[in-house]
Amino acid sequence: MITVAPEVSNSTSGLKLDLENLMPEQTALEIKNLDLFYGDKQALSNVNMKIPKGQVTAFIGPSGCGKSTLLRCINRMNDLVDICRIEGEIQLHGENIYDKQVDVAALRRKVGMVFQRPNPFPKSIYENVVYGLRLQGVKEKRHLDEVVEKSLRSAAIWDEVKDRLHDSAFGLSGGQQQRLVIARSIAIEPEVLLLDEPTSALDPISTLVIEELIGDLKDKFTVVIVTHNMQQAARVSDQTAFMYMGELIEYSDTNTLFTTPAKKKTEDYITGRYG
Amino acid sequence: MNSWFKSGSPWIWLTGGAVSISLISVIGLLALIAWRGLSFFWPSEVVQLEIEKAGVKSAVIGEIYDREQVPTSRILATGVDLGDYNEEFIERLLLKTGNREYVDLDFRWILTTDIKSQSAPKDMAVFERSKNGNFYGYVEKVIENGQEHTSDKVQKLEALVERAVSLNDEALDLQNGPIGHINYALERARLKQRAYELDGELTQERIQEYEQFKVEQKAKYDVLEAELFKLRGEAKRDQVIVKDMRGEMVTIPLYQVLDFTFPNNMSFLAKLGQYFVQLGKFVSDDPREANTEGGVFPAIFGTVFMVMLMAVIVTPFGVVAAIYLHEYAAKNAATKMIRIAVINLAGVPSIVYGVFGLGFFVYMLGGSLDQLFYPEALPGPTFGTPGVMWSALTLAILTLPVVIVSTEEGLSRIPSSIRQGSLALGATKFETLWRIIVPMASPAIMTGLILAVARAAGEVAPLMLVGVVKMAPTLPLDGNFPFMHLDRKFMHLGFHIYDVGFQSPNVEAARPLVYATAFLLVSVIIALNITAIGVRNHLREKFKVLEH
Repeated sequence: MITVAPEVSNSTSGLKLDLENLMPEQTALEIKNLDLFYGDKQALSNVNMKIPKGQVTAFIGPSGCGKSTLLRCINRMNDLVDICRIEGEIQLHGENIYDKQVDVAALRRKVGMVFQRPNPFPKSIYENVVYGLRLQGVKEKRHLDEVVEKSLRSAAIWDEVKDRLHDSAFGLSGGQQQRLVIARSIAIEPEVLLLDEPTSALDPISTLVIEELIGDLKDKFTVVIVTHNMQQAARVSDQTAFMYMGELIEYSDTNTLFTTPAKKKTEDYITGRYG
Repeated sequence: MNSWFKSGSPWIWLTGGAVSISLISVIGLLALIAWRGLSFFWPSEVVQLEIEKAGVKSAVIGEIYDREQVPTSRILATGVDLGDYNEEFIERLLLKTGNREYVDLDFRWILTTDIKSQSAPKDMAVFERSKNGNFYGYVEKVIENGQEHTSDKVQKLEALVERAVSLNDEALDLQNGPIGHINYALERARLKQRAYELDGELTQERIQEYEQFKVEQKAKYDVLEAELFKLRGEAKRDQVIVKDMRGEMVTIPLYQVLDFTFPNNMSFLAKLGQYFVQLGKFVSDDPREANTEGGVFPAIFGTVFMVMLMAVIVTPFGVVAAIYLHEYAAKNAATKMIRIAVINLAGVPSIVYGVFGLGFFVYMLGGSLDQLFYPEALPGPTFGTPGVMWSALTLAILTLPVVIVSTEEGLSRIPSSIRQGSLALGATKFETLWRIIVPMASPAIMTGLILAVARAAGEVAPLMLVGVVKMAPTLPLDGNFPFMHLDRKFMHLGFHIYDVGFQSPNVEAARPLVYATAFLLVSVIIALNITAIGVRNHLREKFKVLEH
């Protein structure tokens, strides 16, 4: 059953997608029966969802609900935690990223991530942006220069830093650093960009700039954002997933979720009864 | 009183006091060494004492080194007749009289009661000689090429001493340069020949080639040798006749004279100039006369060279080991045990490392190296004998724990968000380590290196087993291919202190040298550390971690 033509859905958010029955070509990621354990403790239980391509999907929920954990599953950041055990599948282009033969580094090149706190490297602004390319062995100066300009423009920071590309990235403000980190992530042209509470350490004005930036980014990338700020989710996202105690409670387009939530728990959370 | 305790001021006094005591001891130590060591080079006054002992009059010339009060009873107990002297204490002077070959002792205690008069004649000359130490006396005649001069003695002497010194220098350069080079080339040719012989590849042609080479080198050698003898003969041409304290005329050949001064006739500025000349000689000259005279340059060079070699060895090893322990090793009991073992290695007495170095590096490793690569030199050892490389390796093991511990500390201080940022861009763990983590940990690595250098430069005990000698004829670095001779033995300031202070035939003469060498050792360590600290501060600035 086709509800929306794919070419339309790729660039608009006004139309509702049938998230249950998303067509493969509209799907960026599909999470199937995902369970996650930290030692004996279960942190995610039986999460199933399809994340549409070219849109912004937000994960919301109270602290400790597993939204960041879920996000970190998508680029296998949880591999770094020794006691973490994962069951189930996450499919990117129909391929399970938890397959044994998957190259984790290659996966992370396709699924970029921006963290809660800005984490620029102790290098120049320029070197921060080209870090991913240098890893891939790109050496040609002209190509690197082009990518730096393009990425910094896409991250809406070019005008602020174009005269000091070779200064240390630590000289930038927190908001600028976060946009630099976004530029660094998009320089290697990932398909999916994961944002883990990207504005929680920033001031309101920087937050606004980043939110605007997220709106622009979805033209090129599938964006998944974790936020504990419901207004932010409502402002920037097309789809919203509400999670509670490691379970996916409700997942629908943002408008519906915030205006007419289907579940009692969702309603309680968005009306501020807990969380 | 109670409220005073409650206010916390006793604690401030206690802690502040502890800091002050530490500070005072460090500064006091440095000041004492510096003063005793550096004042040695000041040209002190040479006095002439007229003494009368049991009715016998005599004159003594020398520098006053020390003076002390001794109980009169002790002097009387030695059977000395003090006449009607009846104070409780008696003062005596220690005089450096020099002229070692003509007197029994060149240091002499003299009771002040024996002194009838004391003067500091302006025309008193001090000759610094390459043999037998200083000579004190009055210049009587200068003999230039058999011809005696009695007028303008000083100017003549100056010119002639300068000539002799430059001839000696020339001869020394010839000996160390071209002649040393020929000897080295001959030795290499001999070893090559021996290698052919061992391999059974010694053809008639090669033998002839070798003989030919020997003849050629011998011819060159003869020419140089003739030149050397000529220079030495030239240097022996002139003499000076000096009247010593016994009133006898002594002939001193000028080729033995390095320098002469009239310290009693010097202005303050001239003394200052002389002071720096002496200091410069101490730092840049080779030691003479069983290390009791001359400079310590080979020891400075050996210390710095060995410490740098050690740093080059220990840094990569320590860093790599720390990376494995911190980044790759599983976090379990075995890793913990290894870490504790590594930390405890720092507590093993250093002489134990020396024994290990001698047994493992010198005999086993060096012996095997000789068997494998230098069979032609056997039974003479090449690496199978203590040398600078084994010393550096032994000290590298000794300081390895320090580098590992501080590198690990540095690694654990790097925020995990930076690691994750790199991994999220598709870097592997190794790429993250190589490009981000290790550079960020480099200030900590430098801290480890600073501690390692400080420890290694001060170690003497293990070195006595694995490479240090009292007197090394050649430096580990010279102009003969391959320039760096890691198999050679070397001199070390720490060992030099021990040797001069405790193994010297002339303890009194050596004492100021002990202080001066100690001060120099401390200065070398401080200089090495300041360099490393400068590098570290630069790196810290570069990798300053986020402040907000």
